[in-house]
Amino acid sequence: MSVLQTWLVQALFIFLITGSIGVLLDPCGRINPESPVVQLGSNFTAVCVLKERCMDYFHVNANFIVWKMGHFTIPKEQYTIINRTAASVTLTDVTSLNIQLTCNILTFGQIEQNVYGITLISGLPPEKPKNLNCIVNEGKKMMCYWDPGRETYLETNFTLKSEWATEKFADCKTKRDTPTSCTVDYSPVYFVNMEVWVEAANALGKVTSDHINFDPVDKVKPNTPRNLSVSNSEELSSILKLTWINSNIKNVIRLKYDIQYRTKGASTWSQIPPEDTASTRSSFTVQDLKPFTEYVFRIRCMKEDGKGFWSDWSEEASGITYEDRPSNTPSFWYKIDPSHSHGHRSVQLMWKTLPPFEANGKILGYEVTLTRWKSRLQNYTVNDTKLTVNLTNDRYIVTLTARNAVGRSDASVLTIPACDFQATHPVMDLKAFPKDNMLWVEWTTPSKSPNKYILEWCVLSDKSPCIPDWQQEDGTVHHTYIRGYLAESKCYLITVTPVYADGPGSPVSIKAYLKQAPPSKGPTVRTKKVGKNEAVLEWDQLPVDVQNGFIRNYTIFYRTNIGNETAVNVDSSHTEYTLSSLTSDTLYMVRMAAYTDEGGKDGPEFTFTTPKFGEIEAIVVCLLSIPIDNSSGVLFCFNKNRDYSLFITCSSFLFRIKKHIWPNVPDPSKSHIAQWSPHTPPRHNFNPKDQMYSDGNFTDVSVVEIEANDKKSFPEDLKSLELFKKEKVSTEGHSSGIGGSSCMSSSRPSISSSDENESAQNTSSTVQYSTVVHSGYRHQVPSVQVFSRSESTQPLLDSEERPEDLQLVDNVDGGDGILPRQQYFKQNCSQQETSPDISHFERSNQVSSVNEEDFVRLKQQISGIPQSCGSGQMKMFQEVSAADAFGPDTEGQGERFKTAGMEAVLDEGMPKSYLPQTVRQGGYMPQ
Amino acid sequence: MLACLCTVLWHLPAVPALNRTGDPGPGPSIQKTYDLTRYLEHQLRSLAGTYLNYLGPPFNEPDFNPPRLGADTLPRATVNLEVWRSLNDKLRLTQNYEAYSHLLCYLRGLNRQAATAELRHSLAHFCTSLQGLLGSIAGVMATLGYPLPQPLPGTEPTWTPGPAHSDFLQKMDDFWLLKELQTWLWRSAKDFNRLKKKMQPPAAAVTLHLEAHGF
Repeated sequence: MSVLQTWLVQALFIFLITGSIGVLLDPCGRINPESPVVQLGSNFTAVCVLKERCMDYFHVNANFIVWKMGHFTIPKEQYTIINRTAASVTLTDVTSLNIQLTCNILTFGQIEQNVYGITLISGLPPEKPKNLNCIVNEGKKMMCYWDPGRETYLETNFTLKSEWATEKFADCKTKRDTPTSCTVDYSPVYFVNMEVWVEAANALGKVTSDHINFDPVDKVKPNTPRNLSVSNSEELSSILKLTWINSNIKNVIRLKYDIQYRTKGASTWSQIPPEDTASTRSSFTVQDLKPFTEYVFRIRCMKEDGKGFWSDWSEEASGITYEDRPSNTPSFWYKIDPSHSHGHRSVQLMWKTLPPFEANGKILGYEVTLTRWKSRLQNYTVNDTKLTVNLTNDRYIVTLTARNAVGRSDASVLTIPACDFQATHPVMDLKAFPKDNMLWVEWTTPSKSPNKYILEWCVLSDKSPCIPDWQQEDGTVHHTYIRGYLAESKCYLITVTPVYADGPGSPVSIKAYLKQAPPSKGPTVRTKKVGKNEAVLEWDQLPVDVQNGFIRNYTIFYRTNIGNETAVNVDSSHTEYTLSSLTSDTLYMVRMAAYTDEGGKDGPEFTFTTPKFGEIEAIVVCLLSIPIDNSSGVLFCFNKNRDYSLFITCSSFLFRIKKHIWPNVPDPSKSHIAQWSPHTPPRHNFNPKDQMYSDGNFTDVSVVEIEANDKKSFPEDLKSLELFKKEKVSTEGHSSGIGGSSCMSSSRPSISSSDENESAQNTSSTVQYSTVVHSGYRHQVPSVQVFSRSESTQPLLDSEERPEDLQLVDNVDGGDGILPRQQYFKQNCSQQETSPDISHFERSNQVSSVNEEDFVRLKQQISGIPQSCGSGQMKMFQEVSAADAFGPDTEGQGERFKTAGMEAVLDEGMPKSYLPQTVRQGGYMPQ
Repeated sequence: MLACLCTVLWHLPAVPALNRTGDPGPGPSIQKTYDLTRYLEHQLRSLAGTYLNYLGPPFNEPDFNPPRLGADTLPRATVNLEVWRSLNDKLRLTQNYEAYSHLLCYLRGLNRQAATAELRHSLAHFCTSLQGLLGSIAGVMATLGYPLPQPLPGTEPTWTPGPAHSDFLQKMDDFWLLKELQTWLWRSAKDFNRLKKKMQPPAAAVTLHLEAHGF
């Protein structure tokens, strides 16, 4: 390359000279050296010698020499004038790999004429090759390889030299594309030491590696053992025999082996201890294998003393160990059908298939025996993993064995206790928690040590029933993980039952999530009561299907149209909260978020308006505005106690006021049968807009708002309203507080009218009326599917006896129908339940109604008095809202009063259609 | 032939260099020489099979056992057992050295005549290996302080290819060369095994001692 470049430069020069003097001449001078190679970073000096002839022709001497590197003129400071014909240039610290250096002369007024050119090549001398080693692939020639060291930037030749003590072998020259290895031309002679080294040489030097002296047999890489095959033994299920064919090198050297195996499908290899395979052989029996398991093997070999190289791995070969009797008993459990007939029980025995490592073969069937006290054995042979048997109420002992071609497992024994057996000794401190993407369960062993534990689990959902899966754990275990598919964001009910020799112990349950997530829906907040400066908010617990985790807390966000948002954190156990320090006559927007450990989710926004006046102010206004015909009402109204009697009195008072303007309409709720029928789907107000019509907003004391959430068709409501008005006209003058009640039922002849009248006579005046009307009927849980009209009046009596209960339940129901049973769980989601029953899951269904009762009581305990107070307050607020309409500056009182209920609703963001909706026609519908 | 022998011996000027990596005594080199004889024996087995097939019948027939005619110049490996037992180390090594020097010369002649490239390659490799064996024996002798034998005038092998031999007789010579080589390799294995056993005891004791110390 450099020669070519030099030649080109010279040719160019000749051409120029020819052009200038018209004769083909030698160059005007020469540069020495002509083909220099210098070490990177070193200095270089070149001399340009001009020829006399040229000097004369151009009238120049060495002073006229100009050195150039490519197009760059080298500064004069680097020149040295040696004599009249010669000048040198010195380049310091040469860093370029390839430099075009030319010698030029300045002729005829500074015209540069090229005289000669050279190419300066630079690079580095070779480094001493390191890590020289050789390998003799069996049957092939020897190959040696080394680390060549740093880049030299020059053409560097590597020569592998080898010799015996008595003879030199031919050099091995590397090929251009593999400068770091060389394969010698002769077959190496084993057992004769040889010496090998590498010479690296380029234009800047030659260097030799360290010599290595070795016997080629110590560098052998044998050929791979061939035809590996695996055979099993009928006598021993734990062994497999491997055979293979060794390579020919076994005739020359002794071999050792590396045998690896793994079960089919496994990723990691196990190794036969090297000391067991440390000598030449062509077969090996692998022991301690699992029965009826497919194993994969591979083998490689090398020289026995470890010198040289391992052969490549052989092709894999597999074999299956022979069967053995099942080594464990199947997990065994049972379930009693709850709908047992007298004297007999239907029991489903169930078991799990043995995992392959315990089945030790193909399971051909299961054998079940049943023994009742002092009676003969019953045998069953089953292929399935369940068996349903009819048992008496006595105690039974059940055994189960699994059978394969070789034998049968030990028996798994279960005691099914007699019907009257009392389970005891539950596990203690049951905990469930996710770890490493598994759901772990741990507990403290009961005082009595169990034979085993049964873990059952199922997804809790409103949409689907709890279908438990189960697993068995040894009696010594006190923590384990759920071995089944678990989904994230699902609430799992996990039950642990210790199993003793005499039967199962008491089960204990806990709820857990594999992985929580933020709720998929936020809670729907609404006002329960709105005052001038405060508002009582309430909400329902989120259904378990949308919780996605344990609800840890709520945050309430509220703001006015113009103000900043305020956030309040509320504990997850609450279902209501009072916002205080609100501004009167102001529109507020409120929403709520529920949080699990993984985050929160906002619910829909709810809007309400605080009234302009407080309750007392409103009543004062009302007293001042309305003709009074009952002085006792006035006295109560001035009583500042916000108790129930005040509310009732005021209600009664206002009701009577109303009747002056607004004809009384019979209370539709009292005889509203159709809505109570269990056939009628519960009315869930899923429409966010509808959800804003909470009870609190409609409790306008008067009968019209009772079923605010029950939005029947409007025309009928309006008709009822008309009826109401007409009836009011007809009964006006002889109705009192209680009269309101009788009015409602007498608005139209009915089957139950006599009962109603009776109840009305038995109850005392206004107290019963307002209480009953507000909450009594709605809470009634239908117990039969067909209702008679007489039954529809029961709430009146009920409420008279248990007003608190009714109110509480009213709050709980929130107009959304019967609370789902899961609500019970929700309340206790972080608590553990103890059920004395054997089969927890079966029992759940049986006791569902009991749970609901429990729940009601629980709510009572939790909410207690404040809830009933809240209820009263709510009514009071509604009353005030209505009363607000009687403001002294309002014209057309009569008309205004008629729309009072609507106005109250509008204040809370309700649509205008509210009023007609509240008129219940259900009880009056033809049946 | 003398030239051949001289050439063989000429290539062994630096025998002591075999031990240039230290002086572990003659033990390892005797063991290695023993292993080499076994290796050569194995190599010869396949080479002889190929070569006899090349010679053709009757030479490649399993029970072909001709009289030892015209092969008198080949060094004889067979020897009376008592004589063999009474050989001292120097003489034993010298006989081996001399025998393989001669055999190698004959073998190289064989190589020149081989027709196929594959056979020539096998023979060449065997010659190289045999050269290695000579070097090994020379190394052992050097270690033990014995001088290498000098070829005596008049005792050199007289193998010469030429019209004096018929083709059959030439093949017979080849046959006997391979046969004698095989016998010599058997004998050498015994020789070096005997030497090995003689040299090993102290080394073995040391090894045992070290192992005991290790535990």
